[in-house]
Amino acid sequence: MSGPAPFAVRETDFSGSPTPTLEARGLVREFAGFPAVDGVDFQLDAGRLLAVFGPNGAGKTTLLRILAGGLRPTRGQVLLDGNTVDVGDREWRRRIGVVSHQGFLYGRLTVAENLEFYGRLFGLSDLAERVPERLAAVGLEDRSRSVVRTLSRGMRQRLALARALLHDPEVVLLDEPYTGLDAHAAAILRDVLASLKDGRRTVVLVTHNLGQGLELADRVAIQVAGRFRWIDDRDRVEASTFEAFYRDVVEERA
Amino acid sequence: MDYFRVIWTVARKDLLIEMRTRERVAAMGSFVVLVGVLFNYSIDTAIVRPQEIAPGIIWMTIIFGGLLGMGRTFHLEEEDGAFSGVLQTPIPLDALYLGKTAANLVILSLVTVLIFIVFSVFFGLSFGSHPFVLLTVVFLALIGFVGLSTLFSAMSVRTTMGESLLPVLVFPLLIPMVIFGVSATSRLFAGRPVSEVTGSVRMLGAFAILSVAAGALLFRYVVEE
Repeated sequence: MSGPAPFAVRETDFSGSPTPTLEARGLVREFAGFPAVDGVDFQLDAGRLLAVFGPNGAGKTTLLRILAGGLRPTRGQVLLDGNTVDVGDREWRRRIGVVSHQGFLYGRLTVAENLEFYGRLFGLSDLAERVPERLAAVGLEDRSRSVVRTLSRGMRQRLALARALLHDPEVVLLDEPYTGLDAHAAAILRDVLASLKDGRRTVVLVTHNLGQGLELADRVAIQVAGRFRWIDDRDRVEASTFEAFYRDVVEERA
Repeated sequence: MDYFRVIWTVARKDLLIEMRTRERVAAMGSFVVLVGVLFNYSIDTAIVRPQEIAPGIIWMTIIFGGLLGMGRTFHLEEEDGAFSGVLQTPIPLDALYLGKTAANLVILSLVTVLIFIVFSVFFGLSFGSHPFVLLTVVFLALIGFVGLSTLFSAMSVRTTMGESLLPVLVFPLLIPMVIFGVSATSRLFAGRPVSEVTGSVRMLGAFAILSVAAGALLFRYVVEE
């Protein structure tokens, strides 16, 4: 496969694909007239993982915030199973799990108290079994009584992942989940992310880490200056070409 | 039932954090004790009868001391973006507001008890012969106060001016609380009949209902982007 010219837009033909779970149509988000997200379109079938790469300031986090229903797009729509999602949509919130730069954790509460608090807000009734199970999945079963502010960055990130997955979301949105993790924590995270590919969950992963992103993804995208400059199925992408294009893009923006 | 469970869950979490940090209670408690001490030395009791000026001073202490703590309502939430996490859960935002208001009410009630103790010690106040009516007056005023200050605290934490904006926003809206709270408290301290304060109690009741209802209705517009 010959490499695309810089900033060429590649788009997959979706004809014949099953009904998409998650869809973005012409998403634009402007801040004071500046488009942080500028006409993003994609479709992601149920059970697939989209990895979005891009340099700093590309609009990846803004895109994720829109997908999470935390930010209203200036124009465009997010659709789940063909239904438009809006800010404040409670049903949408029930179906998504978000891991962000921030852990969304209360530093003064213990590990278990944080999960129990969020579990109650999601209306979960089996927290006595569910919380230890989720903590075990991220290797924190022996820290359930630890106050969160005493945990290391890696442990907090793993706890954030457990919190995001506590209610078994169908759509998982991850923003730079590898940031600040040591090798052990990164390995646990990789295992958890791999376990998400069970065919039931749709995942959008925003990351700088090309190697880990490409390893997990079913679809890949490169976002630059708010726009997707490349989006394609992973198995149609040659890693070296993709990486070269990404490096060109990053250097051009630097 | 789920709605009330959400309110309880949010209030319980806020109170648990306050119990561990004592951040707001300590700030408000120190403030009211210092105010009591300063007023003790700033009033010549040979000329001014403490019983007559105490209601106004007590209510202003509740307002200033209360805002000191209420202004911090959302600061702990901002740590590690926890509030954004809560906003990503499927809870009704008015229930979230009511939970935080309930926790604030408990905290401010404790501080108000301290205020009355401090002023009774320093000024030798008599609280009249209708303690339950006095309790009703104070409680209704506090509900209205925390209803407004919780809402505006959510608003001010998202501005660059932060806590300094809170008094500017809230003080004008607290005028009914001051007028009817001071009026009712003065009469009760003076041992006047309950019939003289029923009008003020009704007005404070209306103030409490309107404040909390407005807060519950407007909260989502404050916290959603």
